[in-house]
Amino acid sequence: MKKFLSIVMIMVMAMSLAACGNSAKTSTTSNKESSVDDLKSVKDKGKLVVGITDFEPMDYKDESGKWIGFDADMAVKFAESLGVEVEFVEIEWDNKALELEAGSIDCVWNGMTLTDEVTSAMSCSNAYCNNAQIVILPKDKVDSYPDVESMKALNFAVEAGSAGEAQAKENGFNYTAVNNQASALMEVSAGTSDAAIIDSLMAAAMVGEGTSYENLTYTIGLNSEEYGVGFRKGSNLTEELNKFFKTCYDDGSMKEVASKYGVQAALAEQQ
Amino acid sequence: MDTFVEQFPVVINALNIGFLQTLKLFFVTLIGALPLGLIISFGSKSKFVPLKLLVRFIIWVVRGTPLMIQLLIIYYFPGLVFHNNVWGSNETGRFIATAIAFIINYSCYFSEIFRGGINGIPVGQDEAGLVLGMTKKEIFFKVKLLQMIKRILPPISNEILTLVKDTSLARIIALQEVIWAGQAFMKGSQGISGEIWPLFFTAIYYLIFNGILTVILGKLEQKLEYFK
Repeated sequence: MKKFLSIVMIMVMAMSLAACGNSAKTSTTSNKESSVDDLKSVKDKGKLVVGITDFEPMDYKDESGKWIGFDADMAVKFAESLGVEVEFVEIEWDNKALELEAGSIDCVWNGMTLTDEVTSAMSCSNAYCNNAQIVILPKDKVDSYPDVESMKALNFAVEAGSAGEAQAKENGFNYTAVNNQASALMEVSAGTSDAAIIDSLMAAAMVGEGTSYENLTYTIGLNSEEYGVGFRKGSNLTEELNKFFKTCYDDGSMKEVASKYGVQAALAEQQ
Repeated sequence: MDTFVEQFPVVINALNIGFLQTLKLFFVTLIGALPLGLIISFGSKSKFVPLKLLVRFIIWVVRGTPLMIQLLIIYYFPGLVFHNNVWGSNETGRFIATAIAFIINYSCYFSEIFRGGINGIPVGQDEAGLVLGMTKKEIFFKVKLLQMIKRILPPISNEILTLVKDTSLARIIALQEVIWAGQAFMKGSQGISGEIWPLFFTAIYYLIFNGILTVILGKLEQKLEYFK
């Protein structure tokens, strides 16, 4: 009887393994076929589902609970140009590629840095904003660490999977990966890490006078980088958005929206 | 919005909305998982061997994998594997997926507690019932069920308190429960950015709610003291 049971168990397990293998295969093949015409599927369902996080000044809520911000306003305009409604959905940032592939969102439009990881996992639009990764230090330590060389002695906190983490690796810093950029700042503030690397656009809003982190300040920039919008791999919406960006850049409406949220200086020229 | 006094009502309001979602998930899970757990416990005691093995296998898988992974699988797999995102992208869809994952997970844990409770009742009571001409159904509902409930109340209370805190896992698929709401103020939300205290303040919500539950469950235990 025991033998029989173990055989049954083995068969069940083998079958479930086989089932996994099969489904993985079908999903990759059908991905290639189905991903081509996102434009049609968005028009069919009558809405563009935009994956965002609460990220001032790109996507955030106004007092009435409506999503505003440079990215949010541009997304609304883009959806209008397609003749569809826009639906903003808050996502867990770590799962953005998963959300796209699973079809729960149509694009990621949230001040996303175009890193190698992002561009290999998604179909990305042209860059529309310039950004930099900068080092955050407690005010009283700034003078002791003027350059990258001296900073190698510090322990950094960076957001896991972020452009900041990539910079920490590239410069050979000791670092701990934490949940998000805000946690990285908390680490520095609490003294559990010596320094953090975050986006300059984010730093402008979160560090210094009038924030919880008055004791912190930003120092050197480690690189310059660009923001883009991510779609499913092979999506034809990417091309559509590039055209839209070009039109908006040329007629000045992109700059107008950017000025509203104070990011006009960071705007990237559209070709 | 720089001073604490200005921030406090805004933060509390957001946390309340988040905690309402937490509570909703807690009650939906409890209402779903308690009866389902009982059914599963019958399955795992079944004399029909294939059914028993299947149920034991499911319990093994569900208890043997992290709830966080189960949430990811339930929410993302339909879209990834079958290209049909059955849940929808919005908060309602995410809630339904979360609730189903929680109900499956907790019913498996409950089922084992129930199984222990049923097994703990002396077999003499079954025999006595049969001698008196009661059906198996009558024996279970009229004789054994209440005794079982009394015995399993302490371990079930444990699971219930854990459930309150486990709801925080739902944020992995972006269900906006109370910790999500607290963390939003670290990044920036509703004019408040870079604030750490709302995240830690969420602990108070859990603590108070679990305090209330402890009192209620303790009272319930006392009420069941009348028979020993």
